[in-house]
Amino acid sequence: MKANEAVSIALPTGVLMEGALELLTRSGLLSLSAEELGRQLLVERSDLRVILVRPADVPAYVDHGAADLGIVGKDILWESPGSHYELVDLGFGDCRLVLAVPESSSFDGPDTWPPLMRIATKYPRTATAWFEARGQAVEVVRLHGSVELAPLVGLVDGIVDLTATGRTLRENGLRIASVLGSSTARLIANQASLKTRTAAVQSVVSSLREAAGGDR
Amino acid sequence: MRRWGYRHVITPLVESMDVLDLGLGVDQRRRLFKFTDLRGEVVALVGERTVPVARLVAGKLRAAALPLRLCYAGPVVSTDEGRFHHRRETYQVGAELIGASGPVADAEVIALAARCMEATGIRRYQIDVGHAEFFHGIMDAVRLPDDVKGAVRSALVARDFVGLESLLEGTPLKSAEHELLLRFPALRGGPEILEAAGALVRNRRSEAALTELSRVRELLVGHGIGDVVILDLGAIRDFDYYTGVIFEGYGPDFGQPVAQGGRYDGLLAKFGRAAPATGFVVQLDLVSEMLTRAPRPPALPRIDAAVAWTGSGLNTALRLGSTLRLFGMRAIVDTQSRGPAEAKAWWRALGATNLIHCRGEADVSWSSDGQRTRTLPPEQVAARLAGGLS
Repeated sequence: MKANEAVSIALPTGVLMEGALELLTRSGLLSLSAEELGRQLLVERSDLRVILVRPADVPAYVDHGAADLGIVGKDILWESPGSHYELVDLGFGDCRLVLAVPESSSFDGPDTWPPLMRIATKYPRTATAWFEARGQAVEVVRLHGSVELAPLVGLVDGIVDLTATGRTLRENGLRIASVLGSSTARLIANQASLKTRTAAVQSVVSSLREAAGGDR
Repeated sequence: MRRWGYRHVITPLVESMDVLDLGLGVDQRRRLFKFTDLRGEVVALVGERTVPVARLVAGKLRAAALPLRLCYAGPVVSTDEGRFHHRRETYQVGAELIGASGPVADAEVIALAARCMEATGIRRYQIDVGHAEFFHGIMDAVRLPDDVKGAVRSALVARDFVGLESLLEGTPLKSAEHELLLRFPALRGGPEILEAAGALVRNRRSEAALTELSRVRELLVGHGIGDVVILDLGAIRDFDYYTGVIFEGYGPDFGQPVAQGGRYDGLLAKFGRAAPATGFVVQLDLVSEMLTRAPRPPALPRIDAAVAWTGSGLNTALRLGSTLRLFGMRAIVDTQSRGPAEAKAWWRALGATNLIHCRGEADVSWSSDGQRTRTLPPEQVAARLAGGLS
């Protein structure tokens, strides 16, 4: 219905931005530097409108139809499920969501957990669901940054956080006790865009799928 | 909807939890605002009105012959703010056709939904029509262990095609159904999509669904809405609830459907009066949000005539007001006496098209935008205004 207009895609700031821009270049859709996008936040070129938003905001932009497509880490999608379609694993931005505890802690697998586990995290929804699925009572403290500090000062028993290399955890005297899941960048689509602007949106999806090395 | 013979029913906003328990799924029950009444019974604010209507049909309307055509309008409430676009409350208009099965009934309800969307003022829209049985057939036929099947279903309902792909990749047996599941969001288009899908499916349930969809499409062409219908075999909805043809209405440039409906032949039996049924709702809040954000938002209807009076003109004013309304015009008769200058100011403030000022039994002046004020006999006012308006 909005067939004449540009297809819009929301990209996340932060660690996934480089990879997302590289993917766009490789797909031949659009070549854009991080500096340029960082300066303008909204770039419109060759039938594609690129919007730069905070990673956690990507699903909101897509679910409400402000963007037809979005590139976002799976970790964000765990935390904010919505009405979007998750279409392609883009294969970059590898990281794991882990339960990390202090080196000195005796906590390891579920058998070693205390009756009530106290956890600090930026992912309260995912963490709660994961522990509940294992029959573990959990008290989740929601923090917005420097989560690694919380167990060191005795606020909690452990943290649930994202890690790519595990270095930050090690530097803060933490070790990985369990892995909750693996995350990569995903391509998501607004439900109505897929249905009302099928051709334009699908063509961008195919280009990105191909550039990401998908075989379908 | 009255023109289609649908009777308006009013169901309560507060329902007993026992009733809602019968008809709603676990997730829907969880999202209800619940409280207790004076006798300690748990009651809830309704989150949709199909279940209350089903109870009505199986209860108070038990003696009424089927098929029944019913419609309703009212607010529904949810504890989940995301559910109704970040509001707890939304206003729904809906209709149910109960006791009729088959494509003719399905097409009637889809056509009625289309006309309702038009009636709200939406100019361009599209209706996606799918079939729950197409999905059920594929899930029956796909060769997977039961636990994987459950996971496949969950991934599909969550619209997680990355998860779906990795689930299916891990299974040794490949079939046409695997491919269909992975291509789910792309299984849409005109009648040609039915043939393409027909060549891939090898199970009775899905094939029957395709035949039925093809018939419904023909009937919708007969209803005159063939050009807004798109067949969507990959429609993902509540598959436990819907049993047949399902559909969604989309407006232009709006990120979610504004109308939804489909066949739910299982619900009425839960209330003790087994009957096939199909229906839909239009989310009026979403429609109005969509229309106000459009390039040309709809204006409030203009008042046709402001009828002012002074002295003995009141009776004439009241009579003129009635006559104008008989002609279908919107007329406001002033509540206080005003002289010519005040009457003009009142008229401007109302933004009405015409000012009729009654200064006596037979002394009436008529002012209109961009025209000089004229004096005319009261009996000519209605005819002149009607002539000017048509």
